[in-house]
Amino acid sequence: MKARKVTGLDPDGPLEANLRRIVSVRLEELRSFAPAVGDPTATKALHDMRIAAKRLRYVLEMGEPVLGAPAKRGAKEARRIQDLLGEIHDCDEGVPRVLAHIERLRGEDAAALADGAGPRAKDVEPSAIREAPHRRRYAGLESYCAYLQARRDVLYAEFVRYWGRLERARFGDRITSNLG
Amino acid sequence: MAKAREIPGLADAESFRAGAAAAVEVRAEEVFEHRDGVLDTGDIERVHDMRVATRRLRAAMEIFAECFPRKAHRALLKEVKALADALGERRDRDVAIAALRGAAAELTATERPGLEHLQDELRAEQERANEALARALDEVDGGGLRERLLAHAVAARPA
Repeated sequence: MKARKVTGLDPDGPLEANLRRIVSVRLEELRSFAPAVGDPTATKALHDMRIAAKRLRYVLEMGEPVLGAPAKRGAKEARRIQDLLGEIHDCDEGVPRVLAHIERLRGEDAAALADGAGPRAKDVEPSAIREAPHRRRYAGLESYCAYLQARRDVLYAEFVRYWGRLERARFGDRITSNLG
Repeated sequence: MAKAREIPGLADAESFRAGAAAAVEVRAEEVFEHRDGVLDTGDIERVHDMRVATRRLRAAMEIFAECFPRKAHRALLKEVKALADALGERRDRDVAIAALRGAAAELTATERPGLEHLQDELRAEQERANEALARALDEVDGGGLRERLLAHAVAARPA
């Protein structure tokens, strides 16, 4: 996701004023994703929101010596958002990966059983199942997939709660009005 | 994860430009402080630390982009991003393998083979990512990226 352009920066101006300007744009960028927070299927928007949180976090961390305690607290909050969305993203990537792996094993097993039956076979005997090369591999993978899905659901619920707390505490206004 | 180093003089920087020079200099140094041992897949924290340092450098370069000559800055940022991408590809596999290992440890022996099979596939990808990272590091070293970044930072200092 391309970062929003910050206009009006002055290299020869005070560090603090320039950093405040960047923080303000990065904060708006993060908050622009608020409508996606309630949609668990908005994987792309949640991923972009993580990047926006990371950008806000880094400018707050960088500016902490100049911007003071509100920047430190804001950076910590942005990091929490980034971490939660990062873990959610890992689950979103992990589930299809495991499912694709299972699908590949199933295809290889099917091909092996069909091969084993021979070119002129009229059917495949149930006993052939014992010859499936990957037959012992499915259970663990299916369980792992279920674990990733459960983890995704729980992390997403935690993220929604956390974002709600931040919004109720007007964290954006707190950051911009108290900096420096 | 290694803690970011304090940037000396940032709190009292006389201008945005002065802060830029100090921040990019320190963050560039940090990247190369974590250079040793990153290709060792037996200690995945090393690649993680260098990746985090690279991310911090990128962030500093993006925050302070206005203070540097545009063309040179973009070119350097592109090189830093290429290094970060190579580190990220390795790190992604490291993390996935560690997660699978952790889950496998919770299962019975009869349930583990599938996860071990997927780990083998990821290890092959990790190996390829490590080879790509080795090439990226060779380019970084051969092209003198560290020295050019430091010179870039120093040149931004106010007269």
